[in-house]
Amino acid sequence: MPLDKELLAILACPKCKGDIQLNEKGDGLVCQRCRLMYPIKDDIPVMLIDEAIKLS
Amino acid sequence: MDAAKVERVYSSYAKVYDQIFGKIFHDGREHAVRHLALAPGERVLEVGVGTGLSLLFYPPSCEIVGIDLSDGMLAQCRERVRELGLKQVSLVRMDAGAMEFADDSFDAVMAAYVMTAVPDYRKVILEMIRVCKPGGRIILLNHFSNGNPVIAALEKFISPLCKQLGWRTDLSLATVLDGTLLTVIHKQKVNPLRFWHLVKCLNQKLPAEKTANGNGHSS
Repeated sequence: MPLDKELLAILACPKCKGDIQLNEKGDGLVCQRCRLMYPIKDDIPVMLIDEAIKLS
Repeated sequence: MDAAKVERVYSSYAKVYDQIFGKIFHDGREHAVRHLALAPGERVLEVGVGTGLSLLFYPPSCEIVGIDLSDGMLAQCRERVRELGLKQVSLVRMDAGAMEFADDSFDAVMAAYVMTAVPDYRKVILEMIRVCKPGGRIILLNHFSNGNPVIAALEKFISPLCKQLGWRTDLSLATVLDGTLLTVIHKQKVNPLRFWHLVKCLNQKLPAEKTANGNGHSS
């Protein structure tokens, strides 16, 4: 169940509602503007601000 | 009740949910998906997908996105998707009252047994309307109170159980739809007890004007 490209196109950052991108490892969705990564756990993106990981 | 509590309750019920509710709610789910009348290539959103009991009913030619707030329910759902080899299904964990999808992302949106189990049904229905295309289909499968005194007594009787599951029993369809641009085009009673309603609506919101603010997400 890899992340569908069309799904990625309609998903938005929970914080700024801007675009997000799949990271290199494929285990998170990154919002560059908010510097946050939303983890993909067992193929399921977790689109919750509380569970986002801050990027350094 | 807040979203975190709903999340906890459902995650703790995830493993036994299918045994308790699978059979009772089966009929309603099957009808609901059939009434979505999905054409090949259409994209559908199932709000509160839970353990994925409805997934088998969707035509394989559609793109299905399921969301749920509960980690535990989604873990069960993912297992089901893998076992059944449903390649057209994507799952995302998010809050139904604050969806992270662009406007007009879906041809059809379905919520089965969701409206009475969320802290704020208003937010959920407005989000369903927002992410559904103008002219798209929205289906609600739910128990709605109807003022019938016999049923009202029954509702009162089962209310402690419902509370435990985070269900409210006093919500009417008119309350949910009030002030929205949804038109009911079909309504029927479903499930063995005929206690639940399947309500099919047409999303009659106006097409969004092209604006310069990003993806058109409204707050």
